[in-house]
Amino acid sequence: MTLRDIPVLFNGPQTLGRGKLFWLGVAAVIVAAAIYPQYAERFAISNTAYFGVWVFMALGLGLIWGYGGMLSFGQTAFFGLAGYAYGVIAINLGAAHSYPFLALICALAIGTAFAAVLGYFMIYGGINGVFVGIVTLSVTLAFATFMNQTAGPQWRIGRARLNGYNGMTRIPSLSIDWLDGHRIRFEGATFYYLVLGLLVVTYLALRVLVNSRFGNVLVGTRENPERVELLGYDVRRYQLGAFTIGGFLASLSGALYTAWGNFIVPASMALPAAAMPIIWVAVGGREDLTATLVGSFVVLYVFQALTVVSQEYALVAIGALLVVTVLIAPGGYVIWAVDMASRLRRRAGPSPPLSDPALKARTQRG
Amino acid sequence: MTAFVYQFLAFAYQVADVFAFLVLAAGGLAIIFGMMGIINMAHGEFITCGAYVTTALVRAGLPLPVGIVMGALFAGVLGIALERTIVRRFYNRPIDSLVVTWGVSLIATQGALLVLGSAWTSVGTPLGSIGFGDYSFALYRLVMLAVAIGVLVGLYLLFMKTRFGVHARATMQNPAMARALGVPTERIYAQTFGLGAALAGLAGGVYAPTLTLSPTMGTGFVVESFVTVVVGGADVLTGTAPASAVLAIIRAACTAAWGQVFGLIGLLVTVCIVIRVLPEGFSGWLMRRRA
Amino acid sequence: MPTETLLELADLCSGYGSTPVLQGIDLSVQRGEIVAVIGRNGVGKTTMMRCLIGQLRAWSGSIRFKGNEISSRPPEVRAHLGFGYIPQGREVFPRMTVEENLRVGEMIGARTDAKLYDIVYEFFPILAERRQQKAGTMSGGQQQQLAIGRAMIGNPGLLLLDEPSEGIQPSIVQDITRVMQRVNRELGTTILFVEQNLDVILALAHRCYVMDKGRIVAERSAEELQDREVAKRDLQI
Ligand SMILES: Nc1ncnc2c1ncn2[C@@H]1O[C@H](COP(=O)(O)OP(=O)(O)O)[C@@H](O)[C@H]1O
Ligand SMILES: [Mg+2]
Repeated sequence: MTLRDIPVLFNGPQTLGRGKLFWLGVAAVIVAAAIYPQYAERFAISNTAYFGVWVFMALGLGLIWGYGGMLSFGQTAFFGLAGYAYGVIAINLGAAHSYPFLALICALAIGTAFAAVLGYFMIYGGINGVFVGIVTLSVTLAFATFMNQTAGPQWRIGRARLNGYNGMTRIPSLSIDWLDGHRIRFEGATFYYLVLGLLVVTYLALRVLVNSRFGNVLVGTRENPERVELLGYDVRRYQLGAFTIGGFLASLSGALYTAWGNFIVPASMALPAAAMPIIWVAVGGREDLTATLVGSFVVLYVFQALTVVSQEYALVAIGALLVVTVLIAPGGYVIWAVDMASRLRRRAGPSPPLSDPALKARTQRG
Repeated sequence: MTAFVYQFLAFAYQVADVFAFLVLAAGGLAIIFGMMGIINMAHGEFITCGAYVTTALVRAGLPLPVGIVMGALFAGVLGIALERTIVRRFYNRPIDSLVVTWGVSLIATQGALLVLGSAWTSVGTPLGSIGFGDYSFALYRLVMLAVAIGVLVGLYLLFMKTRFGVHARATMQNPAMARALGVPTERIYAQTFGLGAALAGLAGGVYAPTLTLSPTMGTGFVVESFVTVVVGGADVLTGTAPASAVLAIIRAACTAAWGQVFGLIGLLVTVCIVIRVLPEGFSGWLMRRRA
Repeated sequence: MPTETLLELADLCSGYGSTPVLQGIDLSVQRGEIVAVIGRNGVGKTTMMRCLIGQLRAWSGSIRFKGNEISSRPPEVRAHLGFGYIPQGREVFPRMTVEENLRVGEMIGARTDAKLYDIVYEFFPILAERRQQKAGTMSGGQQQQLAIGRAMIGNPGLLLLDEPSEGIQPSIVQDITRVMQRVNRELGTTILFVEQNLDVILALAHRCYVMDKGRIVAERSAEELQDREVAKRDLQI
């Protein structure tokens, strides 16, 4: 492989946005995000990092739902499980050495394993689309119910009290000791850079993944599972793969969230929290990573702005946004805008209208 | 000896209680799923609606049964309205129907929190209880069981003995053909959705005296109703009813052994096993065996 | 006999997705006639029938029934106007009994004559015998009779019959052919049917259209149909 081949990895039929202009834009956004902490307030930096933390979960759901066609309401269960796991392990190990980092790794493993087991039962059980939704939601709500009743002193794991409805508090932040004893504590701007770095890596890695054979088989399965099976693929393996990766990303969100806020509560997985990932992903556009990413940030920002007025009003508004989206732009607004733009361009001139095959497929289908 | 009999009675009472709960909680959801293949994520909100209407009417001085019936009717009318305006656009997009009713549910819950505040006290359980030895049984629980059985019998009669039932079953089996024979399938869909919503409202009304009312109370029903529908499959009579019975035994046993939460976890474990063994639930399995 | 046009198709086009199948069908049926549409597999006969009952949207052209344009009406309305549809493959409701299948055929609003049941049971005695049997457990021939009976319960003016002989043993095909003649004669029901079985065509049709590649390419009168060779050639166009 030569340097020339590298762009091929990141571009393909399963992602919008290609060509120099798009990637220059991506680079510009990353640079802007990197210098942003120089010019922003402490709170704003922390708050932006907080938005970023959720986006992993959104991208994971995009992979499961948008690319894989399985609507999971269970992302907050993986989120919560990883959050609690991070809390329990970090409290028990303490904040010395690189222990919190070790706790993060364990939490990711636990959340991901849980997603894999749940996914195995569903996908190899052969249940269909709507049932994936209600089974995952049932598991999520039951888990939240379970954590809610862990208030008594008997509910402790080692030194960590689960604390029921009020949740676990005083969880150590993430930190790492380098070999020379230099300690990095991921707080404030450092945490922001960690999230930014992980986001860039995740976004690029997912782009490679969905444009690989894995992604093509996954999308093919979403469109026509029988045909993909006839081609000799075991579709269930790919679906389980997607579900597990989505679970991993939700776990990453959960563990980072817990490390960021130093607490975790059952309400962060129950309703209405469990509704949020669906909304982030649906509004931007679930069938494209970039759309999911952009949409998630926008919805998170708008939602926070509305919440300042009233939590309930914000949720009513966001619910209405979801209903309207599914009614008028089922693919999400980012996708809708891109389609519109390309349609206008096509009408405007003889310039090669749709160089992007994914877009072409999409407009033909619509 | 008598101690054993009482213990057995107590267990049977628990099973009956859970059975009634599952049938009432899941019936409406299962009817809608069986007919249209979609899951109404706003199911819990129809339950909430029935509970509030019932409570409000009882407070206004109406007898409880009247309140319950009105609650069911009110939920049914709302259901038809929801079907006509939104849900009917999604019959060929089942996953989007999940998302859109989920959005409706969010709006309804949070809107109700704004309008109604966070909690109402219930009107209290009527009828008192009877005692056997060390055990006492609330009579109202037996009424609930009777209502659940009444719902099943009523649905049987409706689907097997009436013209609506004939049309509904034909539509379920082959909507295009039913339509070509003059069956107004769109109206059947609306009526079925309304019926499902009314049953949810009925469940809310029946349970209203036993619960603290809050706009989020529907959530307390949805897990059980989802689980029952997944285990039962697409048919209320051959699916929901036996699934409710089996799940009731499992839940009552787990609860008796380890406590409430494990009753719920027992249900979920059962679901995982059932979908692995019978992916189309009890009714799908029965249908395959008879065919 | 005074002739009156019951059904008239003019330049009817339709298809699936963006693939055209019917490319301008012209055809008319007089009241009281039995008309056949014949042609090889895949030329669009079933597509035309589905377009007539309204399961497929007409892309252009017109469908007139008793003089009224009906091409934008949904199937259930057409059924109430007097279409009785018997699809290819029969499509009985498998998990319902024979009697329940017939009940689906009743028209809401129209008072259903108990006499219609008597007539159907008289034409198809096997249905009377099997009243309580689940339709899915019956043989193909029995299901075909049920599908015809089910359409007749609605008291239609026009029966649309798609390949009634397909996959059915010859003796039952003869029974069905005879019953269809009686239905036409005794009840005055007009019949438009699609068929590939030469014997059925010859026994039943008063007149016949030949279809190829989504178009009507020939029309044969009763006299022309007397010549077995002509009909045979038409089936192989
Ligand atoms: N549901 C369908 N979707 C797409 N194409 C179809 C469908 N049904 C039939 N066709 C196509 O339409 C053409 C006509 O089919 P049909 O009307 O069934 O023919 P016939 O009844 O004359 O044998 C065929 O080429 C067939 O492949
Ligand atoms: Mg055909």
